[in-house]
This record gives sequence, structure tokens and C-alpha cells, in this order.
Amino acid sequence: MQEEEILKGLRARDRKTTEYLYEKYSRALFGVIRRMIADEDICEEVFHDAFIKITRKIDQYDESKGRLYTWMVNICRNSAIDKLRSKEISQSTKTETIDHFVFGMKGRYGTLDQVEGIGVKELMELLNEDQKFVIEYIYFKGFTHMEISEEFDIPLGTVKSRVRAAIQVLKKNIERI
Amino acid sequence: MNIQEYIESGKLELFLLGELTERECEEVIAMAKAHPEIQKELDSLEKTMFALDELTGSTPSKGVKDKIFQTLEEDFFNENEAGQAVITPKEDRKVKTLPWKAFAVAASFLAILSFASAIYYASKFYETNQRFTALLQDQQVMADNLDQVRLQNEEANSRLDRLVAGDFQRVEMVGETLPMQTDAKVDVFWDRQAQEVFVAVNNLNSLSADFDYQLWAIGEDGPIGIGLVDPGEKFTLQQMQAVADAGAFAITIEPKGGSESPNLEKLVVLGEVA
Repeated sequence: MQEEEILKGLRARDRKTTEYLYEKYSRALFGVIRRMIADEDICEEVFHDAFIKITRKIDQYDESKGRLYTWMVNICRNSAIDKLRSKEISQSTKTETIDHFVFGMKGRYGTLDQVEGIGVKELMELLNEDQKFVIEYIYFKGFTHMEISEEFDIPLGTVKSRVRAAIQVLKKNIERI
Repeated sequence: MNIQEYIESGKLELFLLGELTERECEEVIAMAKAHPEIQKELDSLEKTMFALDELTGSTPSKGVKDKIFQTLEEDFFNENEAGQAVITPKEDRKVKTLPWKAFAVAASFLAILSFASAIYYASKFYETNQRFTALLQDQQVMADNLDQVRLQNEEANSRLDRLVAGDFQRVEMVGETLPMQTDAKVDVFWDRQAQEVFVAVNNLNSLSADFDYQLWAIGEDGPIGIGLVDPGEKFTLQQMQAVADAGAFAITIEPKGGSESPNLEKLVVLGEVA
């Protein structure tokens, strides 16, 4: 199904289209939330709310402001952020990760090791050390590029170009896996 | 920044990673709209991000899916139950859009109403403002008048004070025996010691603009002009110039502004000091 067809179906509140949307995107979108929140139950709760939000807000989606997938990712991300800011979850998770890294776990990509995805490790091995580092922190650990720049004293421009380079490598190789 | 540099900057990646501020996002969207190359790169990067998310992601449990579709079942899906096609949902949609229309009509009505009242109040304001300005002007005129009256009153008071305090002698001047105006009558009040002179017009014809009445004090050195008399100011005291010595007072008609010596042919009134 093309994006236009999906949109048409969703706007008509069609069940089949909604099911198609779920089958196609749930794994990726759930992944976005899982990268941000450790607790599996809370992840599912956030994903439930985010997916409902996507279907209900589909009339507000503006094609001229970006692709459907990016829009959906933003909804999931914002739902996760809202949850993280709520009382239920303390923000300790990220801080712990930094401490881990700084005190003795240098060079080990703890979070990456935990990823169960097929071929992820192989894919990451294609990146050089610098690229692996930024992907690890931005993509898996949820740091912002500015935080990386400040925490590890890397110029902002360098962080950006490493992100760009890393994703270029992933782009070239991802279809093959 | 050229297009290739923009693409290479890493901004598009950060956009997809949700790292940009709202303003930066708008910039990326605008750039993509303006430059097809940027849009193309953005689309292909989005596919990569989706592939990466899918690769690293994990399938949520069956329970979540069931719960989601159960929630959607309640109020989201356009179900046509007994396999009936399109008609029911269409009606559904109509019902859904009805309040929107009503709101639109209400909103338009409100807009017209507020527009009309805005005009009404603007004209009211203009009117009131005009009236206020007029009142201010009236008030100013009245204040001016009051000042003038006060000034006149002060003058009159000071004249009266001098008249009461001084030793004034009344000299009656009449025109009975003269050809100009037989019923003319003007009084002179003269304080010989203070040398002050006032005149009070009792009856004096008005003159054309080219002539003035001039008062003369006639002493041993002949007549001396001591000021112009205003025939309009009746029964008020007009102060004249100082006179030390006079046997008689007289008024003649002189060209505008007065003369050095009196024109005796136009002698109007005469009075001797008793």
C-alpha cells in the first residue's frame, strides 16, 4: 500500500487500513519507544496510547510537513517523553548509563549488546569507532547531539558530520541485511 | 549555503532523529519544499531510519495489539455491520460534520455582529469626541471671558478707589450753546492736587471711523490735548492725561488719533472749572 492509500483509508476510518498500518509500522515504532524507556510494561502502555493518538489525529497530519513515518515517530517519541517526565518514571536511567560508561565500561557498547535485532551487530561493525560512538549515544541511549558535544567535548559540527557519515554507512548496507 | 552543503550538514539526519527545534524543523521542511534534491535525500534517509528502527525494534506483544484494536473498535472504525456498503458511513460523516457547519455559521454570524458593533462604536466614539472638543472650546472661551471681566473689574475697582480717596472736582461740560450737538453732556472729574482727570460720558453721539473726540484742558498756556474720549463707554470713568492747571475743559471732534491743537469749529461741549 502506498502512503496516499494508507492516508485515504485512515481518514475514512477503515479497519483494514488500520490493521495494515499496524502490521507495517508497529515493530519500528515500538522500537523507538523501547530505546527511550527501559520498562517493558510502560513501553507497551506508551505504544498503545501513541498508536491510538496516530489514528485519531490523522486528520491533523499535514503531508507537506514531512512523511507519514516521521510524523508517527514524532508522536511516539513525544508520548515517551511525556511519560518520562511524568511522576511514574524517574529520569535516572540515562544518568546511570553515563556513569557506567565513565567508570570502567569504556569501549563497551552495553546497550548495543542488548539489542536483539537480527543483524544489528553486524551492521554496527561496519561503522568506525567515531561513527559507532555517536550512533550509540544518540540512537540507542537517547542523548541529544548537543549533550554529546558538551559531555565529551566534541565540536557540534563534528558530531553532526559523524551522525551524517554513520547514517550514510547504515543506508548503504541496511538493505543487504 | 548551497544545496549539497545543506544535505551534507547532517541537519536532515537530526531532523529525522527528532533533534531539531520547531524552528529548525520548519526550516528543513521549507528547504525540502524549495529544493527537490533535499526532499529526495530526506525521503531516502527516512527509509533508512525506518529500516533501522525496524531492524533494531521489536514486535509488541499480542496483548497490546488486541487492546489497541479494542479501543479503536469502540469509537473509531466506520463499521458497516451487516455488510452494508457505503451509505451508513456517509450518513455518519454527515452527522459528524453537522456541528462543524453550525459552528461555522455561528462564528460567521458572530464575526459580522462584532464587525457591525465595531463600526457602531467607532462612530459613537467619533461623535462623542467631537462634542467633547466643542465643549473644551466653549470652556476656553468662557475662561477667557472671565479673565477679561476680572481685569475690567479690577480696573474699575482701582478707579473707584482713586475716586473715593482723591479730592475730585466735578466739571460739567454741555453742548447746549454749541452748534454741534445740543444735548451733548460729559462730566470731567479732576483732582487738582493729584493732577488726575477722568471723564464720564453722559450723552455723546457716535462718530464715523475717521474721527475722534478729543478732550482739552484749557489753562493759561492755551488748550492742551489730554486724551481721546470714547463716546460708546457711557457712564464709566475714562482716565485722561494728567493736568496741573485748567480753567475749563472742552471736547472737539478731531481727525482720527487727535490733533495738536483743537478745531474750534467742531467744539462739542464746554465746561468751566468752578
